[in-house]
Amino acid sequence: MKHAADLDQADEEAGTLAATPERTGFLPIVTNWFDRVFIGIYLFVALELLWMRFLEQAIPLTVCHVLALALGALIVWRG
Amino acid sequence: MRSNRVGWLLLAPTILILAVFGIVPFLYVLYVAFHQWNPFGANPNMIYNGADNFRRLVFDAEFLTSVWFTLKFAFFAVASEVALGYLLAQLFMKDSPGKGFFRTIHTLPLIVAPIVVGSVWRLMTTPSIGIIPYLLNDWFGYDLNIGRDATSAFVITVIMDIWHWTPLVTLTLLAALVSLPKEPFEQAQIDGANRWQIFWHVTLPMIRPAILATVFIRLMDALRTVDEVWMLTGGGPGAATRYVGLHIWKLVFPKTDYGYGSAISVIVLYLTLVMCWLLYVGLVARRDRKRPS
Repeated sequence: MKHAADLDQADEEAGTLAATPERTGFLPIVTNWFDRVFIGIYLFVALELLWMRFLEQAIPLTVCHVLALALGALIVWRG
Repeated sequence: MRSNRVGWLLLAPTILILAVFGIVPFLYVLYVAFHQWNPFGANPNMIYNGADNFRRLVFDAEFLTSVWFTLKFAFFAVASEVALGYLLAQLFMKDSPGKGFFRTIHTLPLIVAPIVVGSVWRLMTTPSIGIIPYLLNDWFGYDLNIGRDATSAFVITVIMDIWHWTPLVTLTLLAALVSLPKEPFEQAQIDGANRWQIFWHVTLPMIRPAILATVFIRLMDALRTVDEVWMLTGGGPGAATRYVGLHIWKLVFPKTDYGYGSAISVIVLYLTLVMCWLLYVGLVARRDRKRPS
């Protein structure tokens, strides 16, 4: 029984360590940091592809890199 | 700490297999996607070309058309499979004579290899020898020719996918339905709920995780379908059934354009992840995780 109790306690501790804080930012869902990094990467790729398709003839891709990175940072910090 | 060490030790084989067969190949494909590499071309060396492969694919009409056809295929196939799978699962919940036999017969398509499914459907739909064109002509006077008519070819590929994969959906939803407790249904009946209300307010919310998992699995499969369609139509007529998996296959193997094929593979993976994530957010996260700020 003592062994089982130890394992339960250890599981609880591991759960506490693994859990990441969730919060509501300007995104319409509650997210943890992994969700926000994920969304940031999605938007980064989408922006890059759309920029290459529609805007690169007029505005260089470097501008898109900067904007996409800024958007990613904003989502991770405030999303 | 001891528990964590044991945990990591137990997870180690899985992590190792995932790394060797999943993460390392993905990183390699990502690496190749930023290179021009055609080992059988004029210059067989791998040459770094930045985002040129991605720049090429956003203007590639063939690729964009194949993505559109794939999305249509995935939508019709998965939606039909879930609806039909649910109805069959409900049917299997009821006691009826021959239920076990029919359940076995119904599950048989699952054990057939996709390439064989494609071959069988090709035999069944070939004009002049196939049973389907014969019956359609005999009963309705309809001349089915999937080698000539793009719409027919598309519809037949969807029906073939439904035939092959509906049993998986049925089994998953049947397992979910069997595991549901009886009490909420009894309470709903006592409260005077009709069958539709019981389905909408009791059954559906309780089996939502199972439906979601099934849709994820089927959506991912449908987006990367190659062998069945390759065997049935070869991507034709024209490019009517040239789904994106087939498009990648044609680029990577017959044309040996590894760099561009890798770039398209990465983008298809990206699209699959985005769709699954949006589906998850739409069906689960917004409802379960939204809290007042």
